[in-house]
Amino acid sequence: MIEIKNAVKTYGAGDSATSALKGVSLTIKDGEFTVLLGASGSGKSTLLHIASGLERPDEGSVEYDGMDITALGDKLLTAFRREKVGFIFQQYYLLPGLDVDKNVKMGAQLAGNRDYRKIIEDVGLGDKLHKLPSELSGGEQQRASIARALAKRPKVLFLDEPTGALDEETGRQVLDYISALQKELGFSVVMVTHNANIAEMANTVVRMNSGRIIETAVNERQKSAYEIGW
Amino acid sequence: MIIRPKDTVKLFGVLIMCACAVLICTLFLNSNIDLARIKDQIHGPEMMMIYDLTVSSGNMTCAVTGGALGLTTVVMLLFYVKHYIDAHKSELGILKALGYSNFEIAREFWVFGLSVFTGTAIGFGLAYAFMPMFYRVQRNDAALPEVAIHFNPILVLYLIVLPTILFSALAILYSYRKLKRPALELVRGSKATKVRKAKPAKKGGADVPFLRELKRNILMSRFSLVFFIWFASFCYAATVIMSFSLKEVGGSEMMAAMMAGIGIVLAITTLFLAATTVISGNAKTIAMLRVFGYSDRECAGAILSGYRPVTYIGFALGTLYQHGLMKLMMALFFDNSVLGLPEYEFDVGVFFIALASFVVIYELFMLVYAGRLRRVPLKEIMLEE
Ligand SMILES: Nc1ncnc2c1ncn2[C@@H]1O[C@H](COP(=O)(O)OP(=O)(O)O)[C@@H](O)[C@H]1O
Ligand SMILES: [Mg+2]
Repeated sequence: MIEIKNAVKTYGAGDSATSALKGVSLTIKDGEFTVLLGASGSGKSTLLHIASGLERPDEGSVEYDGMDITALGDKLLTAFRREKVGFIFQQYYLLPGLDVDKNVKMGAQLAGNRDYRKIIEDVGLGDKLHKLPSELSGGEQQRASIARALAKRPKVLFLDEPTGALDEETGRQVLDYISALQKELGFSVVMVTHNANIAEMANTVVRMNSGRIIETAVNERQKSAYEIGW
Repeated sequence: MIIRPKDTVKLFGVLIMCACAVLICTLFLNSNIDLARIKDQIHGPEMMMIYDLTVSSGNMTCAVTGGALGLTTVVMLLFYVKHYIDAHKSELGILKALGYSNFEIAREFWVFGLSVFTGTAIGFGLAYAFMPMFYRVQRNDAALPEVAIHFNPILVLYLIVLPTILFSALAILYSYRKLKRPALELVRGSKATKVRKAKPAKKGGADVPFLRELKRNILMSRFSLVFFIWFASFCYAATVIMSFSLKEVGGSEMMAAMMAGIGIVLAITTLFLAATTVISGNAKTIAMLRVFGYSDRECAGAILSGYRPVTYIGFALGTLYQHGLMKLMMALFFDNSVLGLPEYEFDVGVFFIALASFVVIYELFMLVYAGRLRRVPLKEIMLEE
C-alpha cells in the first residue's frame, strides 16, 4: 500500500515559482489500477514522480507499507526504486545504442531475472530482439519499454502518458498488454493520462486540477482497452 | 548569420592546442630565422656543428609539435562542427527547407576558424613575450654568438593567417558534406541519428551482464572520444618523460620545462573535453539508469571506466614513442665523440614518476566526473522534448 500524505511541491522561487502540488493526499492499494486524470499542467507527472521516489516533495510524506521514502538518502532511494518500481514514459527513453534484447536486459538484470526473453515474447517483439530502437515503430518502442519495466519485476508500475505519442490502434494494443500483464503478474499500476476514456480501464480514477485532487472515483467495472472510446 | 561567435566559445580546446603549437613554433622558427642572419659569423667545424644542431633540432621540435597538435586540432575542430550540427539539426533543416542552399549554410561555419585565429594569435603574442628569455638560454646552452631579436612578419603569415584560412575552409567543407541530407531528415532530428550498433553477442547473449554490454556500446559509439582520451595519455607520457630525457642528455632546463608544461596542459584540456562530452552525450542514458535504480557506482562504471584501458595503452605507447624519438634524435644529431654528452638511456625511475602522476590526475578526473554524473538532473531530462 502506498500512502501519500499532504504532498507539496513548488518549482522555482520568488515571482517565477510554480506550485505543482498544493497538498495532495492519496492512498493506492496493492494490485490496483489507478489512473491520475487531469489537464496538462495539473500536476499529474509531479505526483507520479513523487509517488515513485524520483523526486522528493517539499512537504509531506510518501509511505510504502509504513516506510517513509521521503526520509531516505539518495543511495537508499535509488535502492528503493531498484527493488520496487518500474517506469514507462511517453517518450519511451530506450537506450539508443542498444538493441531490444539489451534494453530489456537493463531492467531484468536489476531483479536477477534470467528469463526476461519470455516477456519480450509476451509483448510481441520476439522477432525484433536484435533491432535498435531507431529501427522500431513507436508502438514497438513502447512495447519494448513495457518489457524493460516488467523484466525488473516491479511491485508498482508507474506510467506517464504511455500512449500519448501513439495512434489509436497502437495505443489500445499497448494498454491491452499492460492490463493483461497486470492480471497475470499482480503488480499495482499508477497511470497518468489526460484522456478520460482511458480512465475507464482503472479501478480508481483520481482527478486533478491545478495541483490538487478534486475527485476520487471508483469504477464498478473495469473496461478493456477495446471497449473504451478514444 | 546563423552561427554566432558565441557558439564557438566552447572551442577553447582548439584554442589551447593552437596557442601551444604556435608558441613553440614561433620561438624556434623566429630563432632559426635570426640565426640564419649570423651564419657568416660561424667559424670552425665544431661551431658549425653546434649551429646545425641548434637549427635542425629547432626545426624538428616545430615539425613534431606542429604536426601532432595540428592533427589533433583538425580532429577536435571536426568534432565540434559535428556536435554543432547534431545539436542544431532541426534549425539547419528548416533553413534548408526554406530554400537556403547547402553552401549558403556551410559558408557560415567559417566562424569556427575564429577560434584558430584567437589561439594562434595568443600563442604568437606569448612567444614574443618569452623570446628574450628563450634567446638568452638557447645562446648560453649552445655557445653561439649573440643574436638580436627580429620580428619576422613571414611567421604571421605561416603561423596565424594560413592556419586560420585553412581551418575555416575545413569547417566549411566538412559542414557542407554533413549538410548533404534531405531537409526533413534534419528537421526530424533525433530519429535520424545514426547509432553504431555493437555486434550482437554470439552465444549466451542473455548471460553477458548488462552493464558490461552498455560499457562496450558507449565506448564504441563515439570513436573520437576514444581518440582524445588516448591522445591525452599518449601526450602526457611522451612529453613528461621526454622532458626528463632531454635534461639528462644536456638539453636546457627551459626546453624541458616547456615540453612538460605543454604536455600537461594538453592532457588536461583533452581529458576535460572528453569527460564533459561523455557525460553530456550520455545524459539520457545516465538518467534512465538512475531512474531504474542503478547505483552511482554502477553508472560511473558503465559510462566512464570503459576508457581506462584506452588511457593506459596510450600511456604505454607514449612512453615507447618518446623512447624511439630520443634514440632517433641522438643518432641523427649528436656525435658523442665530439661533444662528450651523456648517452640517452631509458630511465625507469622517471617512467614511474610520470606514470604515478598521470594515474593521480586521471583518477582524480574520473572521481570528479563520477560526481558530475551523480548530479545529472533526472527531472529536467525527462521534461525535454
Ligand atoms: N522541473 C520543473 N521546473 C519548473 N516547473 C515545473 C517543473 N516540473 C513541473 N513544473 C510545473 O509544474 C506544473 C505541473 O507540472 P506537471 O506535473 O508536469 O503537470 P502534468 O503532468 O499534469 O502536465 C506545471 O505548471 C509545470 O510547468
Ligand atoms: Mg505530465
